[in-house]
Amino acid sequence: MAGPARSAAGPSVATVDWAVLETLLALGITPVAATELLQFREVAVEPAVPASVADLGLRGTVNFEMLRLVRPELIFISNFYASSEARLRLIAPVESFTIYARGVEPFAAAEQMTLALGRRLGAEEAAQRYLTETSAEFAALRGRLGALEGRPVIPINLGDARHFRVFGADSMFGEALARLGIANAWTESTSYSAMAPIGLEALARVPEAWIALIPPTPPDAMRILGRSAFWNALPNIAARRVLTLDAINPYGALPAARRFARQLVAALDHRGAASRG
Amino acid sequence: MARGRVLQRPALRWLLPAALALVLIVAVIASRAPLPGDPAVNAALERILLWHSLMPRFVTALISGAALGLSGLLFQQVLRNPIADASTLGIASGAQLALTVATVYAPALIAASRETTALAGGLVAVAIVLALAWRRKLDPVTVVLSGMVISLIAAALSATIVLAKGEYVLSLFIWGAGSLNQQSWDAPLMLVPRLVLGCVAAALLLRPLTLLALDDDSARSLGLALHGARILVLLVAVWLAATVTAEVGVIGFVGLAAPMIARAAGARRLRDLLIAAPFAGALLLSVTDSAVQLLGSATADLAPTGAATALIGGPLLLWMSRRMVQTVPPQLDGTRQGMARLRRPWLAIATIGCGLALLSVIALVLGRGPGGWSLATGALFADLLPFRAPRIIVAGTAGAMLAAAGTLMQRLTGNPLAGPEVLGVSAGGGLGLAVMLLLVPAIGPLTMLAGAAGGSFAVLLVMLLIAARPGYGPTRLLLAGIAMGALCMAIVSTVLAQGDMRSYALLLWLSGSTNRVGAFEAWTGLVACLLLVAPLFLFSRWLDILPLGDGVSRAIGLPRIASRLLPAASAALLTGIASLLIGPLSLVGLVGPHLARLSGFVQGRHQLAASAMLGAAVMVLADWLSRIVAFPYQVPVGLFAALIGGPYLIWLLSRGADRNG
Repeated sequence: MAGPARSAAGPSVATVDWAVLETLLALGITPVAATELLQFREVAVEPAVPASVADLGLRGTVNFEMLRLVRPELIFISNFYASSEARLRLIAPVESFTIYARGVEPFAAAEQMTLALGRRLGAEEAAQRYLTETSAEFAALRGRLGALEGRPVIPINLGDARHFRVFGADSMFGEALARLGIANAWTESTSYSAMAPIGLEALARVPEAWIALIPPTPPDAMRILGRSAFWNALPNIAARRVLTLDAINPYGALPAARRFARQLVAALDHRGAASRG
Repeated sequence: MARGRVLQRPALRWLLPAALALVLIVAVIASRAPLPGDPAVNAALERILLWHSLMPRFVTALISGAALGLSGLLFQQVLRNPIADASTLGIASGAQLALTVATVYAPALIAASRETTALAGGLVAVAIVLALAWRRKLDPVTVVLSGMVISLIAAALSATIVLAKGEYVLSLFIWGAGSLNQQSWDAPLMLVPRLVLGCVAAALLLRPLTLLALDDDSARSLGLALHGARILVLLVAVWLAATVTAEVGVIGFVGLAAPMIARAAGARRLRDLLIAAPFAGALLLSVTDSAVQLLGSATADLAPTGAATALIGGPLLLWMSRRMVQTVPPQLDGTRQGMARLRRPWLAIATIGCGLALLSVIALVLGRGPGGWSLATGALFADLLPFRAPRIIVAGTAGAMLAAAGTLMQRLTGNPLAGPEVLGVSAGGGLGLAVMLLLVPAIGPLTMLAGAAGGSFAVLLVMLLIAARPGYGPTRLLLAGIAMGALCMAIVSTVLAQGDMRSYALLLWLSGSTNRVGAFEAWTGLVACLLLVAPLFLFSRWLDILPLGDGVSRAIGLPRIASRLLPAASAALLTGIASLLIGPLSLVGLVGPHLARLSGFVQGRHQLAASAMLGAAVMVLADWLSRIVAFPYQVPVGLFAALIGGPYLIWLLSRGADRNG
């Protein structure tokens, strides 16, 4: 067994939570172990996970034995893993972060978490730099939103051809929109971050908005919608105000928020190029 | 003529409910919030919304309700079973499993035809359910019990597949909770011809259907090709139910309620029922659907319609269970001829105990790590012990408790398909957990335990109140358990459809996991096992007498209430604790007692001891498999329990066929 990979100065760490994982990787810290890497590479996509990171299995059923064998000196979790905390403490000290909870603003919480991780692992500079980069990227992307024509955006994930899940103001996508200076068309409350299932007819209440489709989209949904009189009558659809995004983790941290913002602008550019060409 | 009077009065009785449904529909249309934005654009959009969303939804509710009502009536008539419908027969769960498997592994199949996929799953489920109940002459309670067992297996498999894949789950949960939102006429256009065909088929089968309500001998003497007619009617009924299920999702219990409402409204003869039951189903679903829209917000319903109908159907089943009579006298199959009795049962039990100990030791030392297979010794063993020991202990003790509870249930009811899982207690735990997840912002291990325990305890109390009521035999206890289970699961499926992290937490518990248990759970399991299973041997004489039926028990002088209440309470308590520890979906409580009986343990106390040991062994094995099969990924224990339990049931069934043939 290879010896645990270490970050430059800090202890060897493992993370059970994906939001922590992507933040660590973004700060250039390689954890010794993290959960559900197969799915992470498909859903969160970036940052890339080095091959040296050991896979701890499903997020819901963390493989404690595997974690014990890679001997981390510190384990990061989030509030969703509170029920496993006692078990994890048998292996190494545990530190927990809360980004997604009722009354918590995820973007600010993710910034706090990034700084805290930097402080804890001797990467304060990297953390500070990442925050600055994030603000700079959002500022840069703001300038490329002309094609939106100032309209709001509604980030949804199609459940099937009749229902969707919506990401509200208290979701990471909602906060990313706010930082881009875009209004979220969904103004009703959501129960921390997402709400489902909502009948597709609710889209008639946001005729002005751009629809941002977040994967996964079920294989038959778009085919069925293509021949739906209702779908085609929606002003958003008629004016082709639909943006199809690539895979993003809806429960991520700053890297996910940045990926969402980049994807949104890329989809907008792509659409502009397509309509010109 | 009498017929004219009979028809006239019921027709009047229908007027009020029909008017209510209509008023609610009008209220839904009238109470819509105006659309924001440019009024000129909105006028067109409003029209589209009215004619392509609201109207198809009303029509879909009416047609789906009618189809489910008709299908329920056909099931009840052909099976002579007043509590048969698509949900109690396992059709909905079978269809859901088929759709889950297809969504994850063969999306092309879903894209090609959801209906065919769902129909295939429904047909397989109903075939297994009926085959399981065949040797008990399709006794209504046994049929519904088999349906529940098949539903549990299907649910365990679905949960595992969803957890392992993680993607596209939302569509399945939405579908599982049954929502009627429409944005086109696709669903009504698809359902109408099928409903018409179903009605025509039912009308053509009127004579055989009438005769099928008589007993088999009378029907045959009147010249009816019994099996052919039965299968034909069954096919029509499954097809109707599966089509509705594929199109709008799981709509529970309309098929159960509609024929009952029809009878209550005065329809007596089959000819009248064939008109009245679909009518009642249509009105029931329409009223429910309008209600969830009116009570919800401008954009979202209060709850998925299917879950709401289950909230009505559960109590209805509970109420109906008071009138149910078991048509087959209770008997334990193994006590019949041909079963070899063990000459020295305690020696055999000691042998099984040694086997269990050996298995536990192997599970403790043999495992996989980053470097492949390893036998843990020395320092490595000390490292892994705090993680391996609790889960082995919890798996073993939970298995023992469930198997003991199963033995009690099967002895008490005389029904070989009565497992503790159908008591509704574990589903109550799920409900408690769901409520906790909704109310408490940050959920920790203690709040989870409190929620699950509270839910289990509430259901347990209800069950005991039911069991203690005079005139409530063990059969009714079973039915009440199924009703409570259905009720709780309906609410759980609503939370699952929420699509956020809480749904995920609930799904994890549903799939059954020993992974997160620690020393606290291990001690809980050990103490509970000791305190609750050991005293059962004091009542072992009751266990020998109870399966012989009420008459014998009374003649021998068994305390009538206590001899029922004590085993029922013990079984519920054992199940509640076990499902807190390892989740609700293990079938070990069903399988353990059978394994013991087939091994030749005939007397109550021998079967109880052997069954507890074997149940523990099955769960320790399942836990070990879940740990090593896909290392480092862990497969939910519920899957292995289902994989061990499912084939066993099929085997049981093939044995039954031999004996009947």
